[in-house]
Amino acid sequence: MVDALLLGAIGAGLAVGLAGLGSGIGAGITGASGAGVVAEDPNKFGTAIVFQALPQTQGLYGFLVAILILFVFKTASPWAMFGAGLATGLAGLSAIGQGIASAAGLGAVAEDNSIFGKAMVFSVLPETQAIYGLLIAILLLVGVFKGAGAVSVAALGAGFAVGFAGLSGIGQGITAAGAIGATARDPDAMGKGLVLAVMPETFAIFGLLIAILIMLMV
Amino acid sequence: MKPVRMKKLKAVILDEKVDNVVRQLHESGIVELCDLSEKLEDVEWKSLLSPSSHADYVRNVTTLMIKASRILDLFSNVNPKEVSVKDILNPKPIEKKKVQFNTHEEVIEYCEKVLNEISKEVDEPSEKLNELENRKSKLLQLKDQISYLKGLEFDLKDLGPGVYVYIGCGSVPKEKVNELKSELDKVTEEYIEVFTGEEFEKDNKIRVPIVFVTLKEKLESVLSTLRKFEFERYDISDVEGTPKEALQKIESELKNIESEIKSLIEKLKSLATKWENELLVVYELLSIEKERGDAYSQFGKTNRTYYIEAWVPAKDAEKAKKIIEESSEGYAFVEISEPDEPEEKIPVLLNNPKPIKPFEMLTEMYAMPKYNEVDPTLLIVPGFLLFYGIMLTDAAYGLFLTIVGLWTWKKIGKVSEGAKKLGYILTLAGMATIIMGIITGGYLGDFMYEFLNIDIYKMGLAFVNPLGASNFIKNGPIAILGFSIAVGLLHLFIGLLVGFIENIKKKNTMDAIYNQGIWILLILALVIGILCPIYPIVLAGYHVSIIILIAIAIVVIMCAIKGAKENGFMGAFLGAMDITGFLGNVLSYARLLALCLATGGLAMAVNIMAKIVGSSIPIIGIILAIIILIGGHAFNFVMNGLGAFIHSLRLHYVEFFSQFYEGGGKKFSPFKANREYTTT
Repeated sequence: MVDALLLGAIGAGLAVGLAGLGSGIGAGITGASGAGVVAEDPNKFGTAIVFQALPQTQGLYGFLVAILILFVFKTASPWAMFGAGLATGLAGLSAIGQGIASAAGLGAVAEDNSIFGKAMVFSVLPETQAIYGLLIAILLLVGVFKGAGAVSVAALGAGFAVGFAGLSGIGQGITAAGAIGATARDPDAMGKGLVLAVMPETFAIFGLLIAILIMLMV
Repeated sequence: MKPVRMKKLKAVILDEKVDNVVRQLHESGIVELCDLSEKLEDVEWKSLLSPSSHADYVRNVTTLMIKASRILDLFSNVNPKEVSVKDILNPKPIEKKKVQFNTHEEVIEYCEKVLNEISKEVDEPSEKLNELENRKSKLLQLKDQISYLKGLEFDLKDLGPGVYVYIGCGSVPKEKVNELKSELDKVTEEYIEVFTGEEFEKDNKIRVPIVFVTLKEKLESVLSTLRKFEFERYDISDVEGTPKEALQKIESELKNIESEIKSLIEKLKSLATKWENELLVVYELLSIEKERGDAYSQFGKTNRTYYIEAWVPAKDAEKAKKIIEESSEGYAFVEISEPDEPEEKIPVLLNNPKPIKPFEMLTEMYAMPKYNEVDPTLLIVPGFLLFYGIMLTDAAYGLFLTIVGLWTWKKIGKVSEGAKKLGYILTLAGMATIIMGIITGGYLGDFMYEFLNIDIYKMGLAFVNPLGASNFIKNGPIAILGFSIAVGLLHLFIGLLVGFIENIKKKNTMDAIYNQGIWILLILALVIGILCPIYPIVLAGYHVSIIILIAIAIVVIMCAIKGAKENGFMGAFLGAMDITGFLGNVLSYARLLALCLATGGLAMAVNIMAKIVGSSIPIIGIILAIIILIGGHAFNFVMNGLGAFIHSLRLHYVEFFSQFYEGGGKKFSPFKANREYTTT
């Protein structure tokens, strides 16, 4: 048996570290766009802050899971802790994509305030991956499944599945950014834009599914 | 559930009466005028009607509008509006002026009168102000140039052409002075005298002021030589005395001008407060008249009549007919008919009962429905509120959101229609959050447990614990996850059912079966299979009812057939994968659990940090803990409040709407007088 605290600590570190890396890059991308917008019109500072907040949520999820590992689910299986950290951390890299989408959203809103809502909806799409990561982390920590897939080293497989599949958020962010541009030009493009922007999510769902199957079956 | 039914209104009106008809229709605001100019290109129409252009009086109106807006600009320049936070949070509604005009002539006459009166008082000080400002900028330039001429003692009035000689001044870079002097001597055959003054720095370059005296006939060649040496010419005129004396004089004149400008601005400020509201009224009256005059360009006309087409909601059709007949005193023929144009040309007006009307905003944000499509607003309301409640799920946050919502609705909503709607939605969302917060026992996260040592889950005050066990449910997260998936299935089922019924109504039976029917079947099979697992088959250690397996097989085969019809072999293969898309839609609802936990979990993290800081640092620890608590919870509230709103919307836009809703209609925009400062 490996020391519980040891693997848990690594998991907590991965959760905060990787998710923070993603959020940092994402918020940086949006921030660069925000700086440009504010230089044109200082009144848009508030809008810029709102959009920059979006890619920061991944970092928060990482922080949340670290706190959960260290303070709440101290009795969970050590491998589950490690896996939970991996899942949240890797999936948190989707913040890079969200940063790209938010930057486009902010640019569009700077031109035309009325599409704020639409830009928001698009910008928040690449967060799904991070939410799936968080979901798997919680399922691992709570100990819903008692099989080897949830408590042994196999739990890492679940973390890897949903975590790496979560990188699809980067692609989704790029599509969403394009869709925002299209919607800004033609508001009726919203529906079709959403369909296209949701496509890359398929792979995140595959990851989520496999992660659940690992916990369920192994 | 459908947008408002529309009627087409067609009217032929005698030209003398058309002005009054346009006026009354504009005041009533119940019809949308159709632009006929495109239709009139058609040969058949062309033989009957010619296109009409703007009413003649539009030109007068526009001239007056320009005049009014110029004075408004001046007012806003001298009297900039300061918007305080208090005004934003609690704005005062604008006092409306009651007006009564029957013709455009009356309006124009009235506006002319008011504008003349205002110009009489404003023109003089504003012209004076202009003059003074011009003078000021000229003096500033002079002052700038003369200040460079330090060290050159001569009378400035001598500058310029004399009887035989020309005296000029300017500056050149320091390093070029000597070269310049010799070059000038060369081109003028030494008929030139150059004086230099004290060097100065400008734009990071050391420059030297020079004054040159030369014969008039040599001036041309002198100037062209000077140009080669980066010479900057100073155009100083109407000044007397040495540079030093001149500077003093300019200073004192500038001082006088400043004080004069100040008093003029004061005067204009008082004029602005006196006239601004009246001027805004005038401007609004004129814009309304202009809109009416511009409307003429959408009509067709014959020798003595105008022909109008308009969309009108069915229930207002008779009213609109009456308005036209009465305002034309009977010199009109009106016909009301069913829409005679393709669906996408018919304007869409949503008509929902008052309690859910504000939610139309959410439908519109996606896209207006098409004329014959379902209006999904009613379907959005329960799902949106439920999802919002589950995702924010904290009674204290909910209470705060309710207060914010009520404030936005009642206070800011007084002046802004958008704020009113948003406030209403937030208020309801806040209440939903309170209910869900009580059910999940979230009051600022686990604040009660951390600081007051009350475990609500053990006391049986909360139904489910998102992070563990309660008295009622042992495994909270799994219960919520199961609930999320179940709600997701129900939500998708509703969407599918609506789409199925719509397709059947439109006689698209195949679409109804392939796009909605098979999934409805699958959901039903899942429900039956899980509730009463007959003929279970063991699959990887789990018992799965045969009903579910059969349904899955049917769905995969049907999807493959559909795919094959569209795209052949590859299509069949891709179609068989459609089931993963469905699975994705269902799993997407699992975000309800994740976000519910994210709010509660982050609130807990704030509480834990505050507690650690509060107990480990003596004395100031308590203050720091309070700062962490307030800042942390405010942050968590804003982040998750926003997140819950958008994710709730996303579940509707992406998962729900894709089952039945397309949208893409054109919004009904009535021909209506937009009155902010006036009322009739």
